[in-house]
Amino acid sequence: MWMVNVRSSHGARRLALGMFALLLAALLLFPGQSQGLLEYFDGPVGQLVRLPLEAVSSIDQGISAMWQQYVSLQHVADENRLLRQEMDWLRGENNQLREAAAATQRLTSLLQFKEQALPAMVAAQVIGRDSSNRYKSVVLNKGESDGIQKDMGVITPAGVVGRVVKTTGATSVVLLLTDPNNAIAGLIQRTRDEGIVEGIPQGRAKLKYIPMLSAVKEGDRVVTSGLVGGFPRGLAIGTITTIDREEGALFQTAELVPEVDLNRVEEVLVIQATHGQSEETGVKPDPGAKVQP
Amino acid sequence: MKKFLLYGGLVLLLVPVQTTLLPHVAIWDIKPDLGLVVAALIGVLAGELEGLLVGLAIGWILNLYSAGDLWLNLVTTGGAGLFAGLLAKQVAEITPTILFGGLLVLSLAGGLVAVLSMTHATVDVSWWMMQFVVIPQACFDAVVGAGLLWLYERRLASPRFGMLDRYS
Repeated sequence: MWMVNVRSSHGARRLALGMFALLLAALLLFPGQSQGLLEYFDGPVGQLVRLPLEAVSSIDQGISAMWQQYVSLQHVADENRLLRQEMDWLRGENNQLREAAAATQRLTSLLQFKEQALPAMVAAQVIGRDSSNRYKSVVLNKGESDGIQKDMGVITPAGVVGRVVKTTGATSVVLLLTDPNNAIAGLIQRTRDEGIVEGIPQGRAKLKYIPMLSAVKEGDRVVTSGLVGGFPRGLAIGTITTIDREEGALFQTAELVPEVDLNRVEEVLVIQATHGQSEETGVKPDPGAKVQP
Repeated sequence: MKKFLLYGGLVLLLVPVQTTLLPHVAIWDIKPDLGLVVAALIGVLAGELEGLLVGLAIGWILNLYSAGDLWLNLVTTGGAGLFAGLLAKQVAEITPTILFGGLLVLSLAGGLVAVLSMTHATVDVSWWMMQFVVIPQACFDAVVGAGLLWLYERRLASPRFGMLDRYS
């Protein structure tokens, strides 16, 4: 009953209102400094929160696994899981082969073709979803202490998942491809036209700024262009479903379905450095050990 | 000290519940904002100052697990605790129905601030967010808050949080 009987005095009310006004003033007048001050404590607090988060997450995953493996037809579920994994790998391989074939056709005349180095990657598990409904993001169980930094690309063997936007010592937040605040440089695999892939609120994505003369059509696949950091060239993003050509517009826009089912993603790979970035930043990827579990 | 530990445990527990468990009970991909609900309940039951402080702590920690801006979470969750405490003093008794209405307004206000702060969002996106995220979430928050208060009342066998209970 103590909570019910506590009475706030006028002094407490004035103090609360004053604190809130001060907070608003600090956030509006000095946004960088005030948020930076709080972010300084993110690391230790993140480590503290990691314990209950991972405990609940492991229980949740245990229950999910038990349900899938024992309750809902053990053998079928196992077989299905293996087939899905294999299909994801094959999709990735197929995509790389398509990209390699297209590149070979275009570059046969070039004698000095510089082979793209494989990026170093860290495997991570999805342990949660965005704490609000306003953003489409997932929480990973790896953070700064595992070498994950902001703006790193996140993929599965099937294709692009999103980009790291926030990290603590032990966790990181990945903004998904389908979030309207995300933008990734994309390339139509068949026509080689470039554009920007942005999320749309309905859970899909769109490719913007396609030239009007482009012969893009439904069913075309979109891959990363590799022009902007985070992702190497040729990773699958999605398949075009509808094309919007408005009269008088400068560009076409195409809606696409992501290659990865972002509602069910459980394990991901974080790209630590692509070839270009590793040279610039001094981070040296280890080609022998592509994935660090 | 007891209160500090209670609130600390509550805040730590909220993170896994909000990020890991609640997505399973999401309706149309919308889950309630337990941080806002808890901050408002503490504001109502323990006063505006505690509501504000606990709301700020919840906003800060939940923001570590969201792609959103820190200031927005601090202002909406802390503000919910503060204004719930202030509004609770203006009514004779707090019933689940009253709390339902109050939480609906607070959650709508917080959602509106969030949508208006999205600088890159087009009008279509903002309108979609209001229709399919902010309004359903406000209803969800209000139902959950009213349900929690109802359970709390039953647990303590206390009929209503009247003026005398809160100010005696």
